[in-house]
Amino acid sequence: MSDMINEEGVSRRSVLKGAAAGAAVVAAGGLLGATAGSTAANAANVTASFGSNNSNPPGPKEDAAWVAAAAAAGIDVKLNVVDHNTFQNQINTYLQGTPDDVFDWFAGYRMQFFAKKGLLTPATAVWAKINADFAPGFKAASTGLDGKQYLVPTDWYPWALHYRKSVWKAAGVNPASIKTFADLVAACKVFKAKGYIPMAMADKGGWEAMGTFDIINMRTNGYQFHVDLMAGRAKWTDPRVQKTFANWKTLIPFQNKSPLNETDQTAGTMVLQKKAAMIMMGSFTSGLYTNKADYNDLALIPFPSINPAYGTDSIDAPIDGVLMSNAAAKNLPAAEALMEFIASTTFSDTITAIAPGLFANKHAKVSADPFIQSQVKLVNATKHVAQFLDRDTRPDFAYPIVSAAIQKFLTGGDAVAIAKNLQAQWDALPPA
Amino acid sequence: MSNDVATTKEVKIAKADRKVRRRNHNFSNGDRATIATFVGVPTLIHIFMVWIPAICTVLLSFTFWDGIGGLKNIKWVGFTNYRQIVQLDADFGPAIRNNLYWLAVFALIATPLGILLAYYIDKNLKGTKFYQTSFYMPLVISLAVTGIIWDYVFNSDGLINSLLGNNTNDSAIDFWGDPHKNIWVVLFIASWRHIGYIMLLYLAGMKSVDPSLREAAAIDGATEWSTFRKVVVPSLRPVNVIIIVVTIIESLRAFDLVYIINRGTNGLQLLGVLVYDNILGSSMRIGWGAAYATLLFILCIGPIIVYLYQNFSRDE
Repeated sequence: MSDMINEEGVSRRSVLKGAAAGAAVVAAGGLLGATAGSTAANAANVTASFGSNNSNPPGPKEDAAWVAAAAAAGIDVKLNVVDHNTFQNQINTYLQGTPDDVFDWFAGYRMQFFAKKGLLTPATAVWAKINADFAPGFKAASTGLDGKQYLVPTDWYPWALHYRKSVWKAAGVNPASIKTFADLVAACKVFKAKGYIPMAMADKGGWEAMGTFDIINMRTNGYQFHVDLMAGRAKWTDPRVQKTFANWKTLIPFQNKSPLNETDQTAGTMVLQKKAAMIMMGSFTSGLYTNKADYNDLALIPFPSINPAYGTDSIDAPIDGVLMSNAAAKNLPAAEALMEFIASTTFSDTITAIAPGLFANKHAKVSADPFIQSQVKLVNATKHVAQFLDRDTRPDFAYPIVSAAIQKFLTGGDAVAIAKNLQAQWDALPPA
Repeated sequence: MSNDVATTKEVKIAKADRKVRRRNHNFSNGDRATIATFVGVPTLIHIFMVWIPAICTVLLSFTFWDGIGGLKNIKWVGFTNYRQIVQLDADFGPAIRNNLYWLAVFALIATPLGILLAYYIDKNLKGTKFYQTSFYMPLVISLAVTGIIWDYVFNSDGLINSLLGNNTNDSAIDFWGDPHKNIWVVLFIASWRHIGYIMLLYLAGMKSVDPSLREAAAIDGATEWSTFRKVVVPSLRPVNVIIIVVTIIESLRAFDLVYIINRGTNGLQLLGVLVYDNILGSSMRIGWGAAYATLLFILCIGPIIVYLYQNFSRDE
């Protein structure tokens, strides 16, 4: 009911680590500003300020740990922690006011948007040093439209079909056999016959089903079309969009009846409680599996191939990271040193010691946990990594325009009319 | 009538009158400063906090602006935002419709029910205090709790579906997710709150009605209904004005309840939500938000002005 985790709330840090954003959007007051003192300053240290949105537990613990590690590495960090949702809502004012040198943000369009508005300092010099530590996909996701890198990626989580091994075993469906869309539909029929909801679907928040749209669109029409569509280079009135909706329509009979009444949490719980057989969701759904036995039963498979031309070459795997604001230009050496530190394994290993996750640095320690390992395997087998619909398109298009359109589709709306309205709304957007 | 025929008495009165007026204007500097402070400060606050933002909102509704880059990036676009809202925004129609539903349900059902309850509770029936507390209770409970309570009732595995024996996902009535049903569920909850509010306001007013008026009406053989209609209601005119204004404002500014349910989407669109979503949050489409705010302002102020005008002209 009060789960209003908006797109910002999907941040792996806030969700995976068990901090439901809850009703904080309405209740969020002013900045919950808290300037933590930097640790005992080494005279030779440089000083940079950092704006953290990592306010939900264990965020403060993580922040304290890496700030201490940074001080040891020669950078005194003036930490400015802001409530997670407040930070997102005030990002425009924040970046135009007196921003910190370096701050938490996301990859993709939501970064490019600010880069284009001239509110960021490029991190090309940093990337020249850290290039070897990151897979090319991460570099691409950190690059603005002008070809310069702005982001230093920290961590990420993939979107995939999540299921319980025991449920699939009981129903006699072999996860490894789901290679094509037809296989998936056949499996759904088996699950339905056995009394399961084959696919749990949520879209109460308006963002949950975007992951399903993304994956079906990328499987049907390829990564490039998806990116073009998100950027407005391809039209929503393109017949290919209708193919995506038509494929999705095939799955609707296998979804729970009222997706608009379900959140990622409630739909994820259907899988946890073995009422539903699978869910297309970010791996943060594992946050629901607090019981160790349940967690060990959780697994994922990539969404199967639809168009053989594209196979399973793309996924959504949103990347979080840090950016340099305009203010960093006045404190560039220190800010760049801080960016470089955050790109290092010292940073990721410090965080892993507190809460294991997936880090962008390819040399980062990875937890041996099989579920984490399966996420690594999934992303390593993928050629193109998309961010997520609301991170790949204009923020004023994602909400409330696309979110409302998908909700309409899920409640039986006519896909042709929906696509037509989406294009008309895109065309009416103020120039970005 | 000329001065020539004015009597001495009249002249005297006029002089005295002028004297009194002069005395009233004869403030010390300290008094002037006090008056200036007491009138000036609230006026300035009012102008800066209410009227300037309101006028700026109306002006911004004629522009494109994403809130980035200061005033020079504001682009004047005339009525484009209004045209786009009406022609393109799929949420516009539902939002207007829902706000009007809200107004209709409050005005025709919730407010009259609140008045009726006040009338009966005012009769000091047995257990009056209990009823009074019960009906007012919904307003004391925070909205978040309200949401949870009714979620238990209307959820797919909630009270109503359980009573109806709809235990599986397929047979359950989808009260929250079905865009044709959820607005009525929300209006039910909103009315549940509104009735208690109106009851309390009216009850307070009724306590001030002289009981002898009602006695006199009863002695004259008036029925209860005509006593209420012809004696109680007219003697409560100031309260009636408040109740009508409260009902209009409450129904048009509605926001919080739908926002905690589903952020005001999928059948629960409201103008207030569209203002918020376009100006704050991730969108920053300030022109649209301002245009919605302006529409909401006109909708709110229109009926209130009409009502107050009629009411006061009747008084004269």
